[in-house]
Amino acid sequence: MIRLKNICFNYNSRQVLDNIHFRVNLGDRIGLVGPNGSGKTTLCRIIMGLLTPDGGEVEIFGQIRRKENDFAAIRGRIGFLFQDPDDQLFCPTVLEDVAFGPLNQGKSPDEAKRIVQATLARLNLTGFEERFTHKLSGGEKRLVSLATVLSMEPEMLILDEPTTGLDEQTIETLVHLLNSTNLTYIIVSHDKEFLERTTNKTFSICGGEIACS
Amino acid sequence: MHISEGVLAAPVLLVGAALGLAGTAVGLKKLDYDRIPQVALLAAASFVASFIHVPIGPASVHLVLNGILGVMLGWVAFPAILISLFPQAIMFQFGGLTVLGVTTCNMALPAVLGYYAFSAGIRSPKPFVSGLCSFLCGFVAILLSSLAVAGCLVLTGGSFWAGAKMIVLAHIPVMFIEGFITLGCVRFLKKVKPEMLEVVYARP
Amino acid sequence: MKLEEFATGNSFIHHLDPRGKVVAAAFFSGLVSLTQSLTAALAALVLPVILVALARLDFKRLMTRLAVVNGFILFTWFFIPFTFPGRVIYSIGPLDIHWEGVLYACLLTVKSNAIILALIALLGTSPVLDVVHALSHLGVPDKLVHLFFFCFRYLHTIREEYHKLSEALKVRSFRPGTNLHTYRTYAYLVGMLLVRSFHRSQRILEALKCRGFSGRFYILHHYQMKRRDYLFTSCGLVLPCLLVFIL
Repeated sequence: MIRLKNICFNYNSRQVLDNIHFRVNLGDRIGLVGPNGSGKTTLCRIIMGLLTPDGGEVEIFGQIRRKENDFAAIRGRIGFLFQDPDDQLFCPTVLEDVAFGPLNQGKSPDEAKRIVQATLARLNLTGFEERFTHKLSGGEKRLVSLATVLSMEPEMLILDEPTTGLDEQTIETLVHLLNSTNLTYIIVSHDKEFLERTTNKTFSICGGEIACS
Repeated sequence: MHISEGVLAAPVLLVGAALGLAGTAVGLKKLDYDRIPQVALLAAASFVASFIHVPIGPASVHLVLNGILGVMLGWVAFPAILISLFPQAIMFQFGGLTVLGVTTCNMALPAVLGYYAFSAGIRSPKPFVSGLCSFLCGFVAILLSSLAVAGCLVLTGGSFWAGAKMIVLAHIPVMFIEGFITLGCVRFLKKVKPEMLEVVYARP
Repeated sequence: MKLEEFATGNSFIHHLDPRGKVVAAAFFSGLVSLTQSLTAALAALVLPVILVALARLDFKRLMTRLAVVNGFILFTWFFIPFTFPGRVIYSIGPLDIHWEGVLYACLLTVKSNAIILALIALLGTSPVLDVVHALSHLGVPDKLVHLFFFCFRYLHTIREEYHKLSEALKVRSFRPGTNLHTYRTYAYLVGMLLVRSFHRSQRILEALKCRGFSGRFYILHHYQMKRRDYLFTSCGLVLPCLLVFIL
């Protein structure tokens, strides 16, 4: 599904990614580990087209993507969960926020509402529609931002540190959800136990290089 | 720097509203769609920062920060200041709807003037020039804003002379504090995030 | 920051369409701010008092709010009675109090409070975002509405960041005083807030892009002007005119 070739990326003249190759196939459940600042988030943002690499080739869904428009086409198909849910949740109510993606995809308001209800039910969040996003607890915010991603019915997920700040019960919900989907996904995390339970492949980034372990 | 509802004369209110509308229109025109989150969050940050009370002798003053906002935003300071006044206007009723135009002008016009007068100097690599210009930018913004408030009152009626003078005098310490804060703030931004001072939001 | 302390309530006023309330509030403020007659201003004050009573707002909180926003009005009382030309009614040392000055200060006080009360009763009784939503229906440009919308959404988040930063200052035993160290520290605090907001706004924009944002927001809730809304708005336009122009 994704193929990165010879990707280089520099940040403030520091080489974060040095000529890396990375592949994601259909059905892969990948854990991405590595020390702080090693370039895990950078890699995800390059896949989403939010950063432009200094060199190399990004191929997603069988096509080479270079420009903003190439990436705009795939963003609904790859769901990206941000590290900080506050960056993702910006609408006043949960309903509006979860419906935002589907509406952008051209769904009618009624369809969007149906999708919202189905998605919230999947995450045990039924009844949250009219809650205010900025007044949710940390765990609730995380689950709602996951709902905003899932409501776009992506083919693949990229989750950037989804377990930080979550209690055990919410982590259980997350593990259960991930194991019950057949989505392809990449999870960036420092939580070894969580990765063991949810992924079948681990890559580690260190010193600008990526290796399968 | 808020003037209450019901105090100013109709011509002052109308001219203020017209100028505010024009300035906001120019600002919005220069604002691209994908800059909206940036400008909105900077407006929110300066609104939050304006609650900081800085001690001066036994008293304390709160920050205004229209100078630094002007340097970062140029004409976009108009809509940015308008939206940060708006919740105060409708929720706190500190200067409500009728004075919104006047207050926006009083704060945003000095910001835009500061942008034209000082932003080149602030970006200078020479620390002395840059420091002097950033101090002046903060200082002059408050000076002009307080003069504008005083002017609005005097134009309403001669009996406001004494009050207008008091307002300008009371803001003298604020001018110095804003000067120092803007100076420090620019030094900080130059080190941490210089592109914020490159006036990326305003197409001059 | 109690932005919406009057917004929750269950009265008739709380349930009115915010568009009607915005129109009535704007019209009333405009009209009252133009009037120059104390009788007309006093008559106009009756309407917001009735509205506040109808909205069943908490009396104590209302008075606190009025006390805070009357600061400027209090300030005018310190000089208007002395400087406004007119008949001297009393002298304190070298200062003469003029009767016309007292009347003028009264006029300003009544006008100001009439408008403040009307705004509290009409706009304060709807959540901020509903008011803004109403404004977008009334022709305020989309860009401005979206600016406000993002600004308001992240106000709380930025405030939390500010609190964390100032707590971090406290635990490192920072004591503000009148000195350069204090000013430098506050300058860095402000700079940090601006930088963090800037970074956050970049992430928000990215999140928007990831969700297919194309410069358009969709509105899911729509208001319905009911008969009572039309009735209320018409009253809001006619009654103040009658009071102000007849008296």
